[in-house]
Amino acid sequence: MVAISPPTSAVTWLAQVAVPRDITLWEWFTDPETWTGSTGIIASLADTLTLVIAVILCSVLLAVPTAALLAHWRKAELASAWVVNIGRAIPTFAIAGLLVPISLRAGYGFEPWPIFIALILLTVPPMYLSTYTAVKQVDPAAVGAARAMGFTEREVLFTVELPLALTVIFTGIRVASVQVVATEPIRAFLGGDGLGRYVRDGIGQNNPTLVLGGAILIAILAGITAVAFVGIEWLAKPAGVRRLSGAGASREAARKQMVAG
Amino acid sequence: MLLATRAANPLLRWSYFVEQWDRIEEAILQHVQLTLLAVGAGFVISALLAFVALRYRWTITPITLFAAFLYTIPSVAFFGVLVAYLGLGLLTALIPLTAFTILILVTNIMDGFQSVPASVREAADGMGLTPTQRLFTVEVPIAVPYIINGLRIATVTTVGLVTVAAIIGYGGLGRLILDGLRRTFWTPLTIGASLSILLALLFDLLFFALGAWLTPWARRKQTL
Repeated sequence: MVAISPPTSAVTWLAQVAVPRDITLWEWFTDPETWTGSTGIIASLADTLTLVIAVILCSVLLAVPTAALLAHWRKAELASAWVVNIGRAIPTFAIAGLLVPISLRAGYGFEPWPIFIALILLTVPPMYLSTYTAVKQVDPAAVGAARAMGFTEREVLFTVELPLALTVIFTGIRVASVQVVATEPIRAFLGGDGLGRYVRDGIGQNNPTLVLGGAILIAILAGITAVAFVGIEWLAKPAGVRRLSGAGASREAARKQMVAG
Repeated sequence: MLLATRAANPLLRWSYFVEQWDRIEEAILQHVQLTLLAVGAGFVISALLAFVALRYRWTITPITLFAAFLYTIPSVAFFGVLVAYLGLGLLTALIPLTAFTILILVTNIMDGFQSVPASVREAADGMGLTPTQRLFTVEVPIAVPYIINGLRIATVTTVGLVTVAAIIGYGGLGRLILDGLRRTFWTPLTIGASLSILLALLFDLLFFALGAWLTPWARRKQTL
C-alpha cells in the first residue's frame, strides 16, 4: 500500500483510497477490497446515488408543477422566455465553492449542502423551460374542445395538457438528470466523496490506474442513467399519445429540446 | 484547521488583491486563454462538421448524436481518462473543454444556415452570384445571429468548465478555488469563484454587443 499524497495536493480532511501504483486496472476492479469498506465502490456509489436522486426529485418537484401551472394559465410568459436553456453554462463548481464557507459557518459542514444547491441550480432551469414550453405548445384545439365539453381547469391540465406534454417534459428531466450525474463527481473536490473520489485520489497519488478506474465508473453511471430514462420515458407515455399521429411533431420538439443551446 | 476563527479567516480579505495580485492576474490570464483556445478550436471543428452536415444531409443525425454524446461525458471522467493516457498537461485540459463546445456550436451553425429561406437563395442565384459570393454576402449574414448566439453560450459554458480543469492543474481561476478549499482559506476561494462568474457575465455581454454590432438591421427592425 502506497502512502498518502503530498499535503499540497490532497484534500487532507478526507480518508484517502490507498492503492499500489503498479496495480493494473483489472487487478483493481477484481480486488474485493476495491468494492467494500467505507472507501469502496459500493459505498461511493451509494453516496453518489443518494445525492443524485435527491437533487433530481427536488428539482422535479420545484420546476415541473410551477412551470405546468404557469404555462396553463399563460402567466409569466416573458419571464419564462428569459430562462434560456443554458445547459452547462451554470458554473456549478464556482457556486458550490462559494457556498462551502457559508455552509461550514452555519455548522452544516463541507457537505452536502453546497453541491446540492449548486446542482439544483443546474437542473431547475432546463426542467422548468421544457415543462413550460411543452404545456404551452399543446394544440389549442384539444384544450378548447376539452373546455367546451365542460372540463374544469384542473381536468384540462391533468387529463389533456399534461399527458400531451409528457414526452417533452420527460426529455427535459432526462437531459437535466444526465447533467446531474455528469457533474456530481466534482463533489469529491469540494470536500465530499462519491464516485469522484477515485479520480481525486488517483491524481493526488499520481496513480493513473485509479484515475482511469474512477473515470470509467462515472462514465458507466452516466450512460446507465441516460438509457434508464429513455426506458422510463417510453413506459410513462400514455398509450393514446403513442398512437397519436402527432407523435412525430413531439419527437421533433424533443430533439430541439435535447440539443437546444 | 477547521477551527480557524472567523476573524482569522474571513470570506474575503481585500489585502489579498494587493499581496497576491501576480497570482490572481496569472489565473485570470490562464482562464481567458483556455476559454479562447477551447472555443476557437471548437468553432473550427464545428464549422467543418456543419459544412459536412449541410452538404451531405444524411450526416446530420450522426454528427448531432456524436456531438450530444461528447456533451454528456462527465467532465471529471473526461479529464481523468486523459490524465491516465496523456498525463497532466495543457492538452489534457483543452481536449474536453473543446469537445464540450461542439454540440452547442454545431447545432447553432446548422440552424443559422438552415434559417436562410430557399427563396432568398434562389434570388441570389438569379442575380448571378457565384456560390462563394452567395455564401459570404447572403447566407453568412443571415446565419450570423445564430452563430454569435452559439458562441456566446459555448463561451459562457467553457468559462464555468475551465474551473473544473483545476483538478488537473490547469484551471485558471479554478485553481484559486481548489487551493482555497484545500487550505480552508476562504479568500482565494471567494476571489476565484466570484471572478470566474464575473468573467462569464463579461463574455456574455461582449457577445451580446458583438451580435448587435454585426447585425445592425436587426436593431433597425426593432425600432420601426
